[in-house]
Amino acid sequence: MAEETEAAAATLGAGASGKTWRRRDRGATAGLLSGPLLWLILFFVAPVLFIAAYSVGAVGIFPTDAGVVSLEAWRRFLGGGVYMSLFWKSIRMSLTVSIAVVLLAYPVGYFLALGVRKRKYVLLLLIIAPFLTSYLLRVLAWKVILGDAGVLNSFLSWSHVRGPDEPITWLLYSQFAVMLVLAYVWVPFVALPIFVSLDNMDRSYLEAAGDLGAGRLRTFVRVTLPLSLPGVVAAFLFVFIPTIGEFVTPLLVGGTSGYMYGNAIQDLFTRGTAWQTGSVLALFLLGVVAVLMALFGRFLQARSVTA
Amino acid sequence: MNDLDRILAQRLDRRRFFRLAGLGGVSAAVLAACRKAETTGGGGGGGGPTGATGGTTTRPSIEQEPGGLQVFDWSGYGNGDYYPDKERQFLWGQYASETGDEPSFVLFENDDAGFTEVAAGARYDVVHPCGYRYQDWVDLGVMQPWDPSLISNFSSLNPGLLESGVIDGQQYFIPVDWGFIAPLVNADRVDTSEEDTFGVLFDDRYEGKISWVDTLNMMYIGGLFLGVADPFNMTDAELADTRDFLISKKHLVKFLWNQSYDFWLAFQKEEVWAGYAWPDTVGYAEADGMNYHYMKPKEGRVSWVCGFGLFADSENYHHAHEYVDSWTSTQAAEFLLAYYYYGHTNIEADLSVVPPGLVDALGLDDPTVLDPPNAIPESYIARRDVYAQYWGEVLAA
Repeated sequence: MAEETEAAAATLGAGASGKTWRRRDRGATAGLLSGPLLWLILFFVAPVLFIAAYSVGAVGIFPTDAGVVSLEAWRRFLGGGVYMSLFWKSIRMSLTVSIAVVLLAYPVGYFLALGVRKRKYVLLLLIIAPFLTSYLLRVLAWKVILGDAGVLNSFLSWSHVRGPDEPITWLLYSQFAVMLVLAYVWVPFVALPIFVSLDNMDRSYLEAAGDLGAGRLRTFVRVTLPLSLPGVVAAFLFVFIPTIGEFVTPLLVGGTSGYMYGNAIQDLFTRGTAWQTGSVLALFLLGVVAVLMALFGRFLQARSVTA
Repeated sequence: MNDLDRILAQRLDRRRFFRLAGLGGVSAAVLAACRKAETTGGGGGGGGPTGATGGTTTRPSIEQEPGGLQVFDWSGYGNGDYYPDKERQFLWGQYASETGDEPSFVLFENDDAGFTEVAAGARYDVVHPCGYRYQDWVDLGVMQPWDPSLISNFSSLNPGLLESGVIDGQQYFIPVDWGFIAPLVNADRVDTSEEDTFGVLFDDRYEGKISWVDTLNMMYIGGLFLGVADPFNMTDAELADTRDFLISKKHLVKFLWNQSYDFWLAFQKEEVWAGYAWPDTVGYAEADGMNYHYMKPKEGRVSWVCGFGLFADSENYHHAHEYVDSWTSTQAAEFLLAYYYYGHTNIEADLSVVPPGLVDALGLDDPTVLDPPNAIPESYIARRDVYAQYWGEVLAA
């Protein structure tokens, strides 16, 4: 009986100390999180709420703002028109870029994870090396390569493939130029998640597949690719989400046809007082990205569970 | 907007009005007062803390001012983007030696971007917008008039141009640089035997070899070409027509330029053969020995004047005047003429610094070159927001 009481007391004591510990833990977590949370609230949540309020006319900065709360700006935008078409054009361009980039980056990630034994991380560093150069410089360098009198066209004319007065003009200031430069910029970035997912793969699956008689292609299709899919989806999102709102690259190499949704938002905010329309465009983009994240996020989790 | 407003809003009309009426500064002040009375609470033009007095009695002396003058300006106007040493030496070297202060520069890409930033709350000491936006700046209520007696070079400035800086009867802006907007074409590639026209910017024959400017100015250029009654005051129908016209011609355009130097580089490399151009590009083409033609379009060559404004809450009132004094000196004028091929309001500047052909082509020695019928002064656009909306649609389409 006494022993039981002691045991119960011990359990109680353990429970009490556990609770204290949990409470302390919770306190520490709250303490650690308060900084980043405050940051997010101040510099993300509050501005988004401000933009949302601006988009319905609840706040205004300029004398030209109507000062009347209405969904008119939303109705105009969602009812079709140039900005909606521009949005779909940007989605198309981003999709093309994302698919191309994932296809290009996969072999790189695969080679690094499974093909290289020595100096794997040195090679990885080399891939990331372009990030040491300014983004603007890298984009501007493409102007030198793609221009009418640029490296490519000069070579074509020098090798008499095309006459000196017939450069390929769509190389620069076109949708092609925007997509090419975006793909170039994002390939190293995207190789990383693919590399990580392949590198973490249990190699014994590959051996097992081999032992069971699967060829290299079959092993890749049935084992390696499915196991690396979370990395591929993550990689895809890595490119797709930022490129829908891209505006620097189109500004530099896009010309009139490479103009994207992000450029419209930038122009609406920086070159006039049509901030209400700009807010609608910005918030819509944010909403679309949030929905994409929610959808793909679930997909990602499901994959990692089954993997 | 009533008729009186409209007269005051457009500097050309205002000038003509004064000339016709033979009135001087007094009547200008009366007009301004009338206008103010009519637009009570309308943005508070001239309503800055010191706006009405313009006197210097209660101000801190230059020694008491904090210094560190903040200049909100275009690229290459002192910040050293184009000529690091010379910009400093000629544009504000005098300021630096007289005040011991070194200004800091914040740049804007174009008039609209600069205005939006300030409308949204940014403040500096001085700003350098162009004449067609002066009224907007004053209406915003953030500017104060200059005191010409504190600018020693003031008497050397072209009185006709100075008048463009007078808003509500007060010298809110000190005009300094001026020039044109017209098509510049590569004479080896573009048929120059035809009559000069803005139409070259919309000509199917030069598809992919044309550059427009990346601002809503293309709206009034389009309107001018289409022959609207007043390109600076188009009706909704005219704006819609111009928008549709520009959209239908957009595929001809290689790129829209943001920095005039970017246009020059593409023009020099023959990536484009025709473009919306300022005189600086003309000067570069001349210096480079290119076979070019700077058009005097039959629709009219558009002229512009830009000048310095002083922020109402600037704590560097005297520093700002010294800065503008430096900018209005003959050495600053000659730098602007020799290196950017822009005109300058200082009429005592030595034009021999510019190649003789250019003096003639750009009318640098002709005081009437900016006036009608020689040119169409770029004018205040009262419905600028609507223009911007249509231009946004051109870009997005």
